[in-house]
Amino acid sequence: MNWRKWNRWIHRELGFLFFGMTIVYGISGIALNHHVTRDWDPGIITRSVINQYPDPLQKSSVDRTTIEEILEISGEKENYKQYYFPSDNLLMIYLKGGHITVDLHSGRIQTTKIRSRPVFSELNYLHYNKPKKLWTWFSDLYAFGLVLIAISGLFLIKGRKGITGRGGVLTLIGILLPLLFLVIYLWV
Amino acid sequence: MQKAAFLVIIALLAVSCNQASSENNNAPETAGAEQIVSATIQELLATPADYDGKEVAVSGMVTHVCRHGGQKCFIVAEDGETQIRIVPGGDIDEFKIEMEGSTVAFKGVFRVLSSTEVEALVEDYESQEQHAVEQSHSEAEKADYFVEAVDFKEVSP
Repeated sequence: MNWRKWNRWIHRELGFLFFGMTIVYGISGIALNHHVTRDWDPGIITRSVINQYPDPLQKSSVDRTTIEEILEISGEKENYKQYYFPSDNLLMIYLKGGHITVDLHSGRIQTTKIRSRPVFSELNYLHYNKPKKLWTWFSDLYAFGLVLIAISGLFLIKGRKGITGRGGVLTLIGILLPLLFLVIYLWV
Repeated sequence: MQKAAFLVIIALLAVSCNQASSENNNAPETAGAEQIVSATIQELLATPADYDGKEVAVSGMVTHVCRHGGQKCFIVAEDGETQIRIVPGGDIDEFKIEMEGSTVAFKGVFRVLSSTEVEALVEDYESQEQHAVEQSHSEAEKADYFVEAVDFKEVSP
């Protein structure tokens, strides 16, 4: 078997083997990109409901009875944890799985429930290497495999569509583009 | 058979690289243990220089956990106003959002940043869009002091 056959074999077999890992890192990579730019939180889903307290409130008049009333209005009596005042006009009541913010002057009650976003929270768990242990080894193996897939991919085709022709030009563009972003955003 | 052997060699190579790295990481970091100082948040902030670099035990209600990776949280003192920033250290990867509203006891090292480090911290803070609105923990988020927690335990509820 010549080296090109070995090369094709490596590219093909590793491509199959690491298909699942590529999907995991690809999807969670997009999610984390947008997490970094603060557009969207891939790990959690928040839902808010607005209610109204019958009267305006004052910080000094809020006691456990007031808290009980607000919890009753919000339907969160069972989930109460603790409360505090982030400012003179704001009351924060912490719940299991969320919180309630109350604008004391207007009596506006906002109940926010927080829960894990299915699929994305699991993918992020893997992407951030939170399992550690064996996952570290497997994801290292994947990263190493990805390098092999990339290198072997360069030599799949001979001729003018290969690395000595159009393929080489595309490869060069693919190397220069990240460098261009570094020049624009980091080095200049 | 040849192909299978080839794959096994690749796997072993990757694993052995990782093991070498792990062994280095497990090297002993410090020799000897210092005494842990139990302090309230107000005590820490009254004379921060006295506690700089010391291992402290501090507790309070968690008012906020950073939504972006859980890499910091804030606890409030008994006065209901003074807050301090806690960052994960040691084996702690992150703080969970579920900690908000719970009283948590932290053990960790109290640190005071240099003026240059504070400038970088504030610059980073102000460049982040979600911090456009000042919040109750904003002062603690930009402060030159924080606790690098190595252990914590939820006390209540």
